[in-house]
Amino acid sequence: MEVHGYQVPEGLLYTKEHEWAKKEGSVVKIGITDYAAKTLNDVVYVTSPKPHSTVEKSKSMGTVESIKAVSEVYSPISGTVTKVNADLDSHPELVNKSPYSEGWLVEVAPSNFATESRSLMDAGAYAAYLNTLLAK
Amino acid sequence: MPKTTQLYDYHAAHAKLTEFAGYEMPLWYTTTTEEHLAVRNASGIFDVSHMARFVAKGERATGFLEGMVPTAVQAQPLGKAFYTLLLNDRGGIIDDLIIEKLAADRYMVVVNAANAQTDMRHMMSHAPSGLTLDDLTETTAMIAVQGPGAAASLQQLADLDLSQLKRFRCAETKVAGEDALISRTGYTGEDGFEVIVYYASKSTPNGALKVWERLAATSTPCGLGARDSLRLEAGLPLHGSDIDQDTDPFEADLAWVMTAGKSGYIGADALSKYRDSGPRVIRRGLIMEAGVARHGFDILDESGSLGSVTSGTFSPLLRKGVALCKVRSDNSAYGTHVGVLVRDVRQNGAITKPPFYDELLYGWKRQKGN
Repeated sequence: MEVHGYQVPEGLLYTKEHEWAKKEGSVVKIGITDYAAKTLNDVVYVTSPKPHSTVEKSKSMGTVESIKAVSEVYSPISGTVTKVNADLDSHPELVNKSPYSEGWLVEVAPSNFATESRSLMDAGAYAAYLNTLLAK
Repeated sequence: MPKTTQLYDYHAAHAKLTEFAGYEMPLWYTTTTEEHLAVRNASGIFDVSHMARFVAKGERATGFLEGMVPTAVQAQPLGKAFYTLLLNDRGGIIDDLIIEKLAADRYMVVVNAANAQTDMRHMMSHAPSGLTLDDLTETTAMIAVQGPGAAASLQQLADLDLSQLKRFRCAETKVAGEDALISRTGYTGEDGFEVIVYYASKSTPNGALKVWERLAATSTPCGLGARDSLRLEAGLPLHGSDIDQDTDPFEADLAWVMTAGKSGYIGADALSKYRDSGPRVIRRGLIMEAGVARHGFDILDESGSLGSVTSGTFSPLLRKGVALCKVRSDNSAYGTHVGVLVRDVRQNGAITKPPFYDELLYGWKRQKGN
């Protein structure tokens, strides 16, 4: 679905800090939402945790930097990093162009997905959250 | 409620808005990178109506301004626009500004939006009787047209032959039929103009809007994001970040505005202390090898702390971090290798003389034909 021009695809889980998580078999892909990417405007640097490092739910796992500002990325779930999107080193703009597919940040083997995913929003809830945020 | 400029309706319809110096202003229309590169390669337009504009008028206007700034005023020819500083008693910079000499007894004074009230109070407190200081901020609009294509873009609307208007000169004329003041000035490093559209106001914004929309046919509308990245790439200081009331012209690396031998202006006595020694800290440019240096980041050399970043951004042209900084003058030579703490990670950079772009290819000095 679309809210105020921002894409909010179904099937993903969302945080209030505008990250998304997508379960793909035994791993979870993580990225930032279309709203986060558009608000940053033009992403020029992405720093992500290294493979095999652990990330913790709601703790900073990296940064996404635009010309104007740098913003923290908070992990939607806890786990061990299995893959990092190396394409972003040379093409950070993928985060703007394709925030939900080519612009993914990391892939994580979750340690407690069943419990932690309950506190994340589905597309409908995130769309409603964006609506209240943008209505101000 | 934030204030708005005469062009607000256009911005609200086309741009992402942000509040700056009490004004609701465009941050970007498309992306900062696109707008930035449009100015370096072609032409961009900026609404700079938030900057405050005063006219100082009367036979004592020249003498009054002479006492306010370290640059000679009397000696300026008619039609000159010059960059200078307002200083406090300690020699600290109250603001940086452009003064345009419209007549022997009439000057346009353009100052930063964030300092408008401070500047006005400062000037009023020193104004002699018989001097009028008219605030034209609300009754005019101001549009910057910047880039190698700026002259061609503006010429389509201007009665004046712009090829006859040299850099740092100004003239009153008509633009799209509206009374206007054009100066060949700007804050991007590029050739360009700043156009004050007279008699525009929020109740009658049509004149300013007409000028803006007609310029937008040949120039890219640009927001404050690109305005900041462009002025940083050119190494131009932003008052409130890179220079302030506790920075004097020597520390600001702006001593060139001080006319040799001039005295008797506010701050002159305090600055005479530098006759024998240079400043302890100085403003410098910095290019990063990796990472983006931002305001407040620490700068290190072998002996420890060298200073700190005063403003920084990612340069869309260089694809690197560029910054302005305040460092110890004893290790501030161009080419000095330094470390910058970027969120606890030490990144390498080098003290570099701005502008940060290749002046053969970009900026107002570029070789013609590019």
